[in-house]
Amino acid sequence: MVKDNVLAPTPAKILKSENMTEIEKHIELEILDKEIAKNFVYKPGQFVEVGVMGVGEAPISICAARKKEDLLELCVRKVGRVTNAIHRLNVGDILWIRGPYGNGFPMEKMEGSDLLLVAGGLGIAPLRGVLQYALSNREKYGTITIMYGIRCYTAMLWRDEFLHLFYEGDKINVEFYLSYEDSSDRQCYELQCERSDRCMQGVVTRLFGLKEVEPENTYAVICGPPIMYKFVIQELMKRNFDPKKIYMTLERRMKCGVGKCGHCIIGSGKNIKYVCKDGPVFTYWDALNTKGMI
Amino acid sequence: MYKVLANENLPAFFESLKKIGKVYGPVKVRESSYDFREVESLSEVDLTYTRTMIPPKKFFVKPKETIFDFDEEKLEFKEPPDEEVKVILGVHHCDINALKILDSIYMDETPDKYYIQRRNSSFIIGVSCTPDEYCFCKSVGTSYAQDGFDLFLHEISRGYLVRIGSEKGYELINDNKDLFEDAKPEDTEEFKQNEKERLEAFKLELNVSGIQDMLGLSYEDPVWKETADDCFGCGTCNLVCPTCRCYDVVDYVGLSLKSGERVRRWDSCMLRKHGLVAGGLNFRPTRVERLRNRFNCKGSFTDGSLSCVGCGRCTVYCPAGISFVEVMKKVRGEL
Repeated sequence: MVKDNVLAPTPAKILKSENMTEIEKHIELEILDKEIAKNFVYKPGQFVEVGVMGVGEAPISICAARKKEDLLELCVRKVGRVTNAIHRLNVGDILWIRGPYGNGFPMEKMEGSDLLLVAGGLGIAPLRGVLQYALSNREKYGTITIMYGIRCYTAMLWRDEFLHLFYEGDKINVEFYLSYEDSSDRQCYELQCERSDRCMQGVVTRLFGLKEVEPENTYAVICGPPIMYKFVIQELMKRNFDPKKIYMTLERRMKCGVGKCGHCIIGSGKNIKYVCKDGPVFTYWDALNTKGMI
Repeated sequence: MYKVLANENLPAFFESLKKIGKVYGPVKVRESSYDFREVESLSEVDLTYTRTMIPPKKFFVKPKETIFDFDEEKLEFKEPPDEEVKVILGVHHCDINALKILDSIYMDETPDKYYIQRRNSSFIIGVSCTPDEYCFCKSVGTSYAQDGFDLFLHEISRGYLVRIGSEKGYELINDNKDLFEDAKPEDTEEFKQNEKERLEAFKLELNVSGIQDMLGLSYEDPVWKETADDCFGCGTCNLVCPTCRCYDVVDYVGLSLKSGERVRRWDSCMLRKHGLVAGGLNFRPTRVERLRNRFNCKGSFTDGSLSCVGCGRCTVYCPAGISFVEVMKKVRGEL
């Protein structure tokens, strides 16, 4: 590793690689250079460039709060060249990482408020970091409401973790809501029969029918496929949410992560932003001022 | 500080540059086509050139460069060595100002080592120019380089009036005292007169006052569709632009499949792949979005200066004949 070269990746060993679904793996990494590991401080919502030598790099969001200094957790969906290569690796293999990059979620700013986390599909990954951080600083946050939209039961990420919250969350003031799109899904239907106040068939915005959200004392945090933002924000705006209290994290093809390669530039003349360094977390206020953001 | 370099001392001045490092200058390669190339003698250089097709950015943001070599055990970085100095002779005002824009991007809080090393080991000599029908640097405020060079040569009848822009520039003059003389009042007069005439010679104008709001308000304007219908989406405008710096990263693997290199190369926001993310979703799926994105990017501000320096290259070299200024004027509702 060359110290002052921002493009220099550092090796990280795969400690754990678990298939969560057919296309998503949960990977735990150990940063081998302990000096680098010490300074590898990340916040929920930040991302890393993950590389496989000979294949390339891809930006992947960190899916857990920092617990141990040399440890990093990622959720990798098999969709492109690099992610397919990552899926082919086994425990003990090396991935090359750079980062952490991006601004992350302003966890301090949200202290003292309720949190409303709205996720669609893979969008739950960066929000899992927010959730873990809030749970490990439980007294600093009010009610945590999670709305998680999935396609079907088998596509649900961290199923054990979230089903536990689904059943037991209320004990720690966490309300977990689940929506599923596949109306023929038996397991999800059973969940719905058990807790019709927490589970619904349909898109994630339907869950707003089950929960009264208080705009005054709530920060909303959204992550999901691009189409989802528009509809979730519609629901929030109907409830008079402050655009500055709606956070969302965006996906772009960040090649460098440090505001150089230009792939993640968005906006019009007045307000050009780099998703990699000005984001990937933006408020809805930013989106109102930056064309093409959502 | 100002000096005069007389015409008869020009060859000796050129020789003194060769002592600093490899000298590059504008060379006529075809009828009205110039390129910055390595030069051995002054006769190869044409300091009265209009514009090079590829701007001097190519010296700092390489069209293609290896970031590092890798094998199974280690990475070997390919940062350029500090000591290899390049003298770039004959850079125009607009291109020097463009380098300053690249500086603010590549030398920000996460500096790019490759760029910085090249920038630090370069010696830049500007030269005055005469605008042609494509130049509009005067409109965007980049018609005069105040800094960003080591020496700047302003043509006068008996040679060049020389502005010193850095300590390195001063050292060169100090080491070659006998080549330079102090500017006389008539030199100064001539410099002023030339600058006056140069600024009056601009034929093309673009009003950039409020351009960002004009762009913001014109996001859905039909001008994008109309222009995109003419555009081939070839990306020439990106390659010839002195401030376009998007790059792509690719890994090349050797035959052993165990070693290879990670390379970055110029990319273009006019190509379909630029806005593509994993899974096939494209944030700029058609030429309309891509073209609009390019004009918005050029119309944005970096550290208080517009990201377009008015060199005219994108218009000159566009195979579809799209005029940057004309499109911006349509955006402004002036055409």
